[in-house]
Amino acid sequence: MRLALLTFLLSLSVFAGICDNYKDLGELATLNNGRVKPYMVASTEFIKSLSGKTSIDGKSASEAFCLISLGDGAQLSDKIMVNVSHVELKKLVGLSEKENEISMSKAKTFKEITRAEIMSLKENNSYKKSLNKFWYKIDQFEKASLGEFWTIPSVQGKEVSWTAITKISTELDINLLKDYDQKFKANIDNEIALELIYSKSQIFTWSMLIAIIGIFLTVLLKNATAGLITAWSLVIIEAVGMAMRVMISGRAPITNMYETVLFSGFGALFIGLIIYQFKKDKIFILGGLGYNILCLFMMKFADGMLSEAISPLVPVLRDNFWLSTHVTTIILSYAALALSWMLANIVLIRGRFGSLTSKDLKYYEDLIYAAIKVGIVLLAAGIILGGIWADYSWGRFWGWDPKETWSLIVLLIYVAVLHGKSTSWINTKGFIIFSAAGFMSVMMAWFGVNYILATGLHSYGFSEGGAIFLMTFFATQIIIILLTATGLKTKKNA
Amino acid sequence: MQSFIKMLKKVERTFGSMKFAVTIISIFTIFLIYGTFMESYHGADFANRLVYKSWWFMGIQLLMFISIVVATYMRLPMKKRLYGFYTIHLGLITLFIGSFVTYMNGVDGSLELYPNTPSRKIGIDKDFLKITYKTDKEYSQKYALPYVSSPTSLEDNFRNVVKLKEFYPSAKLETNWAPTNFKKDEIDHGSTYTIFNDNVSQDFTMSLNPVSDFKSSEKLGLLNLSYMPKTLYSCFIKETTSGFLIWNTITQECFTPEEKNYPIIKTSKGNQFVAFKDNNEILKFFPDFSPLPVNDDLTKKTDSQFRVFSRKLFEKKPNLFLFGNKIAFYKKRAKTWVGKEFKTENQLIKLPWMGFKLRLTENFDRMIPYQEPIYTRPIQDNGNIVQGGIKAVKVNIRDKDYWVRTDAPLALNNGQSEIRLELVKDDIQLPYQVTLRKFKMDVNPGTNDPASYESFVDLLDGRNNTPATDHHVFMNNPLKYDDFTFYQASYFQVGPEAYGSIFSVNFDPGRPIKYAGSLLLVLGSIWHYFIRRRKTKLKPSKVQA
Repeated sequence: MRLALLTFLLSLSVFAGICDNYKDLGELATLNNGRVKPYMVASTEFIKSLSGKTSIDGKSASEAFCLISLGDGAQLSDKIMVNVSHVELKKLVGLSEKENEISMSKAKTFKEITRAEIMSLKENNSYKKSLNKFWYKIDQFEKASLGEFWTIPSVQGKEVSWTAITKISTELDINLLKDYDQKFKANIDNEIALELIYSKSQIFTWSMLIAIIGIFLTVLLKNATAGLITAWSLVIIEAVGMAMRVMISGRAPITNMYETVLFSGFGALFIGLIIYQFKKDKIFILGGLGYNILCLFMMKFADGMLSEAISPLVPVLRDNFWLSTHVTTIILSYAALALSWMLANIVLIRGRFGSLTSKDLKYYEDLIYAAIKVGIVLLAAGIILGGIWADYSWGRFWGWDPKETWSLIVLLIYVAVLHGKSTSWINTKGFIIFSAAGFMSVMMAWFGVNYILATGLHSYGFSEGGAIFLMTFFATQIIIILLTATGLKTKKNA
Repeated sequence: MQSFIKMLKKVERTFGSMKFAVTIISIFTIFLIYGTFMESYHGADFANRLVYKSWWFMGIQLLMFISIVVATYMRLPMKKRLYGFYTIHLGLITLFIGSFVTYMNGVDGSLELYPNTPSRKIGIDKDFLKITYKTDKEYSQKYALPYVSSPTSLEDNFRNVVKLKEFYPSAKLETNWAPTNFKKDEIDHGSTYTIFNDNVSQDFTMSLNPVSDFKSSEKLGLLNLSYMPKTLYSCFIKETTSGFLIWNTITQECFTPEEKNYPIIKTSKGNQFVAFKDNNEILKFFPDFSPLPVNDDLTKKTDSQFRVFSRKLFEKKPNLFLFGNKIAFYKKRAKTWVGKEFKTENQLIKLPWMGFKLRLTENFDRMIPYQEPIYTRPIQDNGNIVQGGIKAVKVNIRDKDYWVRTDAPLALNNGQSEIRLELVKDDIQLPYQVTLRKFKMDVNPGTNDPASYESFVDLLDGRNNTPATDHHVFMNNPLKYDDFTFYQASYFQVGPEAYGSIFSVNFDPGRPIKYAGSLLLVLGSIWHYFIRRRKTKLKPSKVQA
């Protein structure tokens, strides 16, 4: 018994030694969540999934994940703060209304009762969803504490098998792990090196900085060249970032919300710059950069809603040809519509707080119209490509599924506005307002179907992140229109 | 004649106008939005019934079609300026025609494949009421049920025997109680219990009456619940060393062999048996094997009024016996049988397993529980219908109303004739058969999430003398054969490590028309928006900062 305790203590110190080398660990390959990735990425994803942060108590995710995996996470679990936002969940775990988080060590004591509460709730409401999320985090932590999430490759010829770190029978030390890793990297195809570069480069954070610089250059300098050069370099940098994601995941970079937001920001800037070549108005650079930066902000700061992780796809989406044609076309069309939305809002605000003549308005109407034209042609093409894909893989061209119905709704709304433009019903001012408002339908098709409609009747999903985001967006857009719509009327042709 | 042409012109101007187009597109869009919310709350089937496939929605689409046709006609003869416009609108007209052809002549069904079992039946999602009537001859007929979203009355009549009255396209079940005139008092009672602990809570309605929709035994995990005749209760809690209980099904008396001094005898193989005399006949029982007496050749004797139960059989596993307002179970730790009685309302009885508690919520004598469908809109949760998933038809047979449900067909027999009613789906028989040889499901490495579903099937066509052909069907790789296309849609488990596969099967004669329309639409819009020459160029009045 005493011997066992001694070995245990000894082994702990050995483990601690390994975790001290966390910088070396970061480069090891591990199989985690259905995909081989660098240890650094796996550990960051894991720590982020628990606490929303990338470090715990001054310890990096790599070190923390190492300690947890080797069963030495007890002290850390006091510092891992799990978010608790649902009022009833707070009551259950004994938090006051003002407190929003609980330590993992305390959370663990509520695992059983959380389970019992989940079982007793018949309706899948927002409380039950919060409970499920909470329970899942505790469960993930406990599984990680058994070393299950840190797997080590052992290579035999061209076959590789993955073993949980704690199941390795020989004594652990960093050189042994490196040996295993070298064998894997030498014999099995992998993109670990690339993913390390991608992950360390923080390429999209840098993009944000460049976009801000670009906006300043475009607004402050009379000549558009500097802004234009910055914008084009941003296009190239983002393209490189996406290309790396494509090589890592082996598929088009448009398979989750994070990637579609990224791609639409990229697409809007690209389309803006192309239209600029024809129309020669800086507003297209400004609109493209403005929308691009909004997207980068979302990717960086709305990480509760958009997950950066590259995860395996559901079977039906695993067709690169259709995925890259259909989804790309749709997202590019959203990008073009986003550009028209940015322009419309810029014009609305300028008209209210600056001065625009009706001739100016006519001119901008023409610019917005240019972006909408690109948008609806791409959208029509994208919907049809989606129909053909559905026909090809499910045997139906159209099935009134909410995602496809909403993309049709977007198309019809813009088509109605364009038809209305040809009648006396929608004048120049009306067209600009409708262009700003029309994008709400895009947001509904893009996010609303997932965050509002998919939650169903019994969730009253509005307590969840995505729905709050959408509602805020709709409210802001409506307020902007209400505030600015009157301002456009006052100026007469000079 | 003059006025007719005038009127035509007026109609043309109305339907072909831009304003009419904007109005009809807006109305269509509003109903689409309504439809997506209905789909999200009530599921795809309900949304189709209520909106997308309803007659009025078809009407709106027809108006859109008319608007497009008239608008195009009005702009004839062809002007070069409008070539893009013509192409777009011709594309739309073609798309509408293609969709209509699909709607009228297309087939959309599913093929269920059990491993190594040939199948040729394609299920079509169309509801029928099937009536089978047997007197001296057998008659059978199918009635198509209307595609509606709310209760709809029916007018059909089958040979003046069955009158079809009403159809509920979605319903939930409500438990009701009806008085009975069943002759056997001892089984003419029913009860509803709630059993719960910290983790689960479940309601059970139980009845011994074979006519009832409810059963006399249920399972909750490892726990068996058995509903018993009331008269047996006293027996279950009696002291007995043998563990045997003797029950006279006619007099309802219940006693132990010890009470009557019946001997318990052991055979050479160690099996216990009990024998006693009834009307000059000696009855022999092996209660550890069967409650019925045995003949000399050890076959079961079914005409006896006596039953002998061995209580010991129920001591090893959790067994709860329910006798209306009384219950009995074996307490392992105390090694005794315990009886409990519900004396007051809301009384809870503690059970010796996993913290379970029992509550009696309803208890009736001479009443029978039955389930009645109540119309409700279905409720969807995560793609599953959690309420309102059954369909029901109300019929009238010999002046009495009955319900036929998807989960419970109706069968009546009055001695001279037999009648059976069931709700069935439509089907098509293929002229060839498909057999699932192997179903393979790959998972993402290190997880249980599916990465691909693949079916290996062979197809044998009896019309030509070729041997069966092998095919590999998986996501994004359908099998095309003889007009039909088979797609990997889903799978189901039939045993440990054994799976069946579900294909969706499709025949779409409108496909080429729809594709042509799509092509025209996309090319036309590119032409219209980008190739057309601009007439005026506008410049801003001021240079922008």
